[in-house]
Amino acid sequence: MKQLLFLSFMLLWQVVSAQDPNELVKAVRLKLEKVKDYSADVHIKAQVPMIKIDEVDAKIFYKEPNQMKVESKGIAILPKQGLGELNNFLSNEKAYTCALNGTKMLGEVKTSVVSVLPLTENADVILVKLWIDPVKDLILKSQITSKSNGTLDINYFYGDQAKYGLPYKMVFTIDVKKFKLPKSVAADLHQNKKKPKTTEGSQTGTIVLQISNYKVNQGIPDSKFKAN
Amino acid sequence: MNQEPIIEVKGLQKNFGAFTAVKDVSFTVNKGDVFGFLGPNGAGKSTTMRCMLSLIKPNAGQINIFGKNLFEARNEILAQVGSIVEKPDFYKYLSARKNLEIFARISGADVSQQTIFETLDFVGLTGREKDKVGGFSHGMRQRLGIAQTLLHQPELIILDEPTTGLDPQGIIEVRDLILRLKNEQNKTVILSSHQLAEIEHVANRMVIINKGQTIIEGSVSELMNAQETLLSIELLQRANEALHLLQQQFSNIKGEVISPKTLELNVERNLIPAINSALVNGGFAVVALEPKRTLEDFFIQMTQN
Amino acid sequence: MLWKNTYNEFIKILAKPRSYIGLAALTLLILIILFAMKADGRMYISFVTASFEQTLSFNGNILNGNLIAFIVLQMLIVHIPLLVALVTGDLLSGEAAMGTLRMLLTKPISRSQVVISKLIAAAVYTLILVVWMGFLALIVGRWMFGTGDLIVLNSDGLVILNYADVLWRYGLAFAVAYLALMTIATLSIAFSAFADNSIGPIVSTMAVIILFTIIGSLDVSVFDHVKPWLFTTHMASWRSFFSDPVPWSAIWESVWILLGHNILFVAIAIFKFKRKDITT
Repeated sequence: MKQLLFLSFMLLWQVVSAQDPNELVKAVRLKLEKVKDYSADVHIKAQVPMIKIDEVDAKIFYKEPNQMKVESKGIAILPKQGLGELNNFLSNEKAYTCALNGTKMLGEVKTSVVSVLPLTENADVILVKLWIDPVKDLILKSQITSKSNGTLDINYFYGDQAKYGLPYKMVFTIDVKKFKLPKSVAADLHQNKKKPKTTEGSQTGTIVLQISNYKVNQGIPDSKFKAN
Repeated sequence: MNQEPIIEVKGLQKNFGAFTAVKDVSFTVNKGDVFGFLGPNGAGKSTTMRCMLSLIKPNAGQINIFGKNLFEARNEILAQVGSIVEKPDFYKYLSARKNLEIFARISGADVSQQTIFETLDFVGLTGREKDKVGGFSHGMRQRLGIAQTLLHQPELIILDEPTTGLDPQGIIEVRDLILRLKNEQNKTVILSSHQLAEIEHVANRMVIINKGQTIIEGSVSELMNAQETLLSIELLQRANEALHLLQQQFSNIKGEVISPKTLELNVERNLIPAINSALVNGGFAVVALEPKRTLEDFFIQMTQN
Repeated sequence: MLWKNTYNEFIKILAKPRSYIGLAALTLLILIILFAMKADGRMYISFVTASFEQTLSFNGNILNGNLIAFIVLQMLIVHIPLLVALVTGDLLSGEAAMGTLRMLLTKPISRSQVVISKLIAAAVYTLILVVWMGFLALIVGRWMFGTGDLIVLNSDGLVILNYADVLWRYGLAFAVAYLALMTIATLSIAFSAFADNSIGPIVSTMAVIILFTIIGSLDVSVFDHVKPWLFTTHMASWRSFFSDPVPWSAIWESVWILLGHNILFVAIAIFKFKRKDITT
């Protein structure tokens, strides 16, 4: 009897906690949509195979719907996707459908894993997987699989700006098996001493963004985003 | 004349591979000489002169200049030598003055701008000092070449074929310059030529070389007088009888009758006055006595053997 | 006497039209590269970064003066030896051809000093070429394209160097490139000591460079023991300053090998020239 009780309690709890994945995504999306624009300082630490770069400070600017700009004195390497693209992708709710893939513990948080499938044909994005904190309506992890880029994992860490869904830290894990160097350009000295590195097999790189000094919804003119 | 030797060349030999350019050349040049260095083309003159200027290293033999071995005291010696080898070549893209400045700077002496102008004046190039040498005629280059040899007031001037390629006017000018060097500046000059006339006019001593060997060396006048001359005698008539008379009076006279009025004799030059007297005393009417053999013939004769 | 003749050599080089061919050609080449980069530099960059750009985005002023200078150096390292040899290969043999060598060598200056004074003049000329190239590439490049981090493609990947970390690399890179060009200069002077015409040494120098470069790039194991000793292998050593970390030991090795070649070529030039019979 006790066992039955426990079992039915578990079932009940599951029904209660299991939410509509579309609602989960919508909650996240609405939170993100509170952000009309923002600017922030970014400290970028990239550890990508075949690329050697120091840590760089840059400034990022965002304005809805999809204007994004990175300003840096030096050269800053950022993932091609994952900064503005995800928000942009989620903002059009007719373009995808969601499915719940169960739950998973991320650290101490129990997250709902939601698969987002694009409905449009020939879309570059094949699948987006989101690990959503259902309590705070925050994406803690995303995984974007696309035709052109393979798989990109992003982990999000939230602080002061959690109310806007803006993280203070993002860790990108990128797939680099596609890097190929143009041979003719790379004809340099001492090459017979080192074995030329190839990215055969699955190598991954990480790019860590430390984001601070958010200024949200303070208005940024469109001219800021024009290429100079 | 002072007999202090300035140049002593002994047993000079130079091979270029299997070809022997100079076999055995020796001669001595004394202070104050205008010394003629004579030989046909290819005799080894140029090679010898290049050896004397350290342009070519001889295989054997000795060259002493100013009493010092050339290869031991090269720079010391060359500081007292001015030279033109073959023909004077200059930096065509530089002016006459700049060229002289360049050569003066490494001549071993301090040459003032004034000396440069004076020297240009000496060779008659005043007014052309700013012109690029590229536009100079051969004669002007030759004169500039001589100027270049004089800048540092050398004791010895070596000129290799200084009149080659010059027009008659240019030859006279250069010849005149050489005589002025000797007379006005008391230089010792050595000049090479394949033409006797050149040397006959200016040199007091000479050496003749052929096929890389010294043939003869001595004073120009001695060499000329000591040798047989072909004497052509023109008479009013009776050439036959005249030859007969002379052969009676002078032993060993060889000659032949060319025409009834002309005969030719091989005699020593210093006999010519006596021959003349004998003919006149013998009642022959002498129209002309012409010594046909000059050093030129001698030269040809020497070098043909 | 050495300095007097060195002074003469400067006068000669300054007066020779061909000395300016090198400078003019260099100026023209660099200006063309600068212009091309200004017009279409993004294309050039994307060729290098293309394989990364699907995944990563490169932000900031990539096409800056520092990169331009690097591109210029990389492109011209093939051509500048010709410009150097054009002048240095002519130094001894040109005078032989002109006849002035005869005049020069009957002066009280030793033949070794003649060679050394010409070497000094060649070194200064080459330095002027390198400094001029540096000025055009780096100073004019920065003026036209601004400064910024330098992105360099090496055989093992992209290196992005902080703009503040670039100048000393260029300084040393130009110094090593200068040493490499001096190797060309001394080689051509050595050839020049053997020849009596000015074309021969220039062509011979270029022929040696081409031959060695081909041997160096042939992937045949027969040449593996030869390659490290070819001076052409080390001519691109300046590039190593743009690796991170800088492979100091490899650079030093290149410097020693290049220096060794310099000394060898000068020794050959002096040895030959001292024994040469001047027959022109």
